[in-house]
Amino acid sequence: MNSKIIGAVEIGTSKVVVLIGDIVNDKTLNIIGMGVSSSQGVKKGEIIDFNSASDCTHAAIMAAEDTAGVKVDGIYLAQSGRHLEANFSDAEVTVKSPDNIVQRADIRRLLTEAKSKQLPEERAIIHHIRTGFILDGDLVDDPENLEGHKLGVGYWNIHGSFKKMSDSIHIINGFGLRVEDLIVSSLASGKMVTTEEERQSGVLAIDIGSGSTDYVLFKNGYVVHTGVVAVGGDHITNDLSIGFRTNAKLADMLKVNSGKATLEPKSKNDKVMLIGDLTIGDRSISRSGVCQIINARVDELFKIIRSNKQVSAYFTNREISSVVLTGGTSQLKDIEKLAEKVFGLPVAQGENPSWVASDIAGPEFSTALGLLYFGFSYRDDTRFTEQKRGTNLFKGLKQLIGLKS
Amino acid sequence: MDTQEIFENAVRMKIVGVGGAGNNAVDRIRMDMEQLDGLSLACVNTDLKTLSESPVGEKHLIGRNITRGLGTGGDPELGQKAAESDRELITRMVDGFELIFIVASLGGGTGAGISPVIAEIAKQHGSLVIAFVNMPFTFEGERRFKMADAALKELRGVADAVIPLPNDMLLQEEAAQDSVLNAFSKADEWITRGVKSIWSILLKSGLINVNFSTLREVFNIQGAKTLFGFGQGHGPNFIQNALDDLVICPLLHVPDFSKVADNLLVNVVGGTDLSMSQVQEIMNFVTEKFGSRENTVFGAVIDEGKTNTVEICVIGTTEMGGFRGVSKPRNLLSPQRTPVVANRPTVTAKSLRDQITAGVARKNGQMDLIPTIQQELGFEGVDEHRGFFEETGRNEHDGFDLDVPTYLRRGIRVVLR
Repeated sequence: MNSKIIGAVEIGTSKVVVLIGDIVNDKTLNIIGMGVSSSQGVKKGEIIDFNSASDCTHAAIMAAEDTAGVKVDGIYLAQSGRHLEANFSDAEVTVKSPDNIVQRADIRRLLTEAKSKQLPEERAIIHHIRTGFILDGDLVDDPENLEGHKLGVGYWNIHGSFKKMSDSIHIINGFGLRVEDLIVSSLASGKMVTTEEERQSGVLAIDIGSGSTDYVLFKNGYVVHTGVVAVGGDHITNDLSIGFRTNAKLADMLKVNSGKATLEPKSKNDKVMLIGDLTIGDRSISRSGVCQIINARVDELFKIIRSNKQVSAYFTNREISSVVLTGGTSQLKDIEKLAEKVFGLPVAQGENPSWVASDIAGPEFSTALGLLYFGFSYRDDTRFTEQKRGTNLFKGLKQLIGLKS
Repeated sequence: MDTQEIFENAVRMKIVGVGGAGNNAVDRIRMDMEQLDGLSLACVNTDLKTLSESPVGEKHLIGRNITRGLGTGGDPELGQKAAESDRELITRMVDGFELIFIVASLGGGTGAGISPVIAEIAKQHGSLVIAFVNMPFTFEGERRFKMADAALKELRGVADAVIPLPNDMLLQEEAAQDSVLNAFSKADEWITRGVKSIWSILLKSGLINVNFSTLREVFNIQGAKTLFGFGQGHGPNFIQNALDDLVICPLLHVPDFSKVADNLLVNVVGGTDLSMSQVQEIMNFVTEKFGSRENTVFGAVIDEGKTNTVEICVIGTTEMGGFRGVSKPRNLLSPQRTPVVANRPTVTAKSLRDQITAGVARKNGQMDLIPTIQQELGFEGVDEHRGFFEETGRNEHDGFDLDVPTYLRRGIRVVLR
């Protein structure tokens, strides 16, 4: 029996989540370990204090290895933060053979051309995500041996800053582990909380974390857009603490216990106590004020996503049929109602797939589960490109940032 | 000491209102203050029509040859040119006053362009310069906002203290009938409170007196961030009411966990029934809530016409770059700030603190009653309300910083209590 142990690491703003999976005979994925530590040195999805972030990540990996009772072979590492950017590139080739049957060589030529877009300096590609092939205007999953004249393809290319990515890779290397691949958080969690049907008909999956919000748009089963807004639950807490002039801890309690994303009628009588135990410094606070502050922040967040040029095109063309929310901050009361108002579509709370055990079924595990899933299943396009994905591109990145592969 | 003697020794103060909003504010102060002993008023404008409507006695049209009395049309460069062309006039206006208050809106070309020049000239002539400046709403647009921000930085480089009054925050005051248009008169109200408080510290006698040299030391960190808060209370529980009012002061829209002020000036104006123990109660609360890490100077003044009432005014200054330690990405965008701090020739924060402590101790023996708070409570300048995200880079989106609360940027008035 062939077994490979892989780890999924998400260095989040509020916590580090590590899951360990056992891939048996390339066919089955068993989740055998879990470790969670509260995060230090990470703000808005980016590492700002290397040593602190490193310590808490190592603690979580250690805890996960303890529960699994095995050592991990390689890590799939999530990436978030505003350093991530993406662009779309496409290409079209004329089918060469005289009988107009698409050959593998045509596809290779096309893919190479579509991906050969120049990147700015200090940037490295994380993913080239291929959309479907277009053969004479029709969307096809696999054009090989089909008949046609013009073959086109598009790539959604996600790239990030070398410095930021190498920081997180160094953290994993510092524990003596190898990073197998970097995966953008939105892809990982988005894949977990949407169904194949939703991805076909068009779905926007929004993962609202503590420090950042990662979103992904699927259409016809393919990823067509991803994005990051460096705003999350921490911003709500900070807004409340500034508005009510209190500390982060009490502001967070206000958010969790009394907050909701929709407005309350301005009633003079609806009060909540700041601390709740009537000690010195406790005072009454208007619940409608709490909701005003939260509503403004979350409304703005959704509107930033909705007004993104590429995203709004999908909305205008009615190519999206639903929105799914996940991440810790998606547990905010009435957040679906606000999202429905902004997006004008049915909004659901994302659920992890049913094969996930109940103790890791919460929205905070979506990203890590998605990482394992990618580590287990991502073998796309290997048929068309000579080298296996996950080695060539990633090797390039590692060489550029001076790591041993 | 008889009254005559007090006034002869009194500090000469002048309020200079710059531009339309500044002129209005001076007019408002003229009407609001029952007494104006030791306080002169002057209005400065590039717009002859607005200036002629002002009832204030001393009026100066600046840059007659530049703007022909027609205003700057919102162009601060034109305002600056106008001021440069009339340096002599400005010198005559400020000369001989120990304390110059500059009152202006930095959203206008005259206020933004002329105020820094007046501050600079007044400083050269030995005045202590305290500026109260109104900042435009964020939603008035990026251009206006950036213009005001640039003028604020410039003014900070030359004035002793600059107290920004952002409309975004003034709107937060809890009064349902207020409209956005009222924010300007709100700004006037806050300016009056600030001026009046400093005026009474210097001119009235009370339980704890603060003299001009002490005031001067508090404001001696040039280019510093300032904090300004005000609370008032009436009725049977006037102390508690005033403290509650101070806590929700819209200008203190800052979280506890941001930086503390280096120097803090707290002035209490009470009625004849204000006792020393009540002052003590206020002191304890204020130092605990807004504790200055190193130094707090207290003044307590009795207003003989009043009972059952108290006003608390808190003014703090924090050296920029000093306690922050980290060089923040934002500073790259505002290179003017750093040289100001770096070029300060002799006074270090430490020696300054020593001086203040010494000065205060000489002035009155009661200072040892006042606890100096060492903990990490505090606040920051009102123009920077990033709180938790203070030490991270700006979160740019369409020209605005997403780390600043949305409700402040959108101008939503929040119900607080």
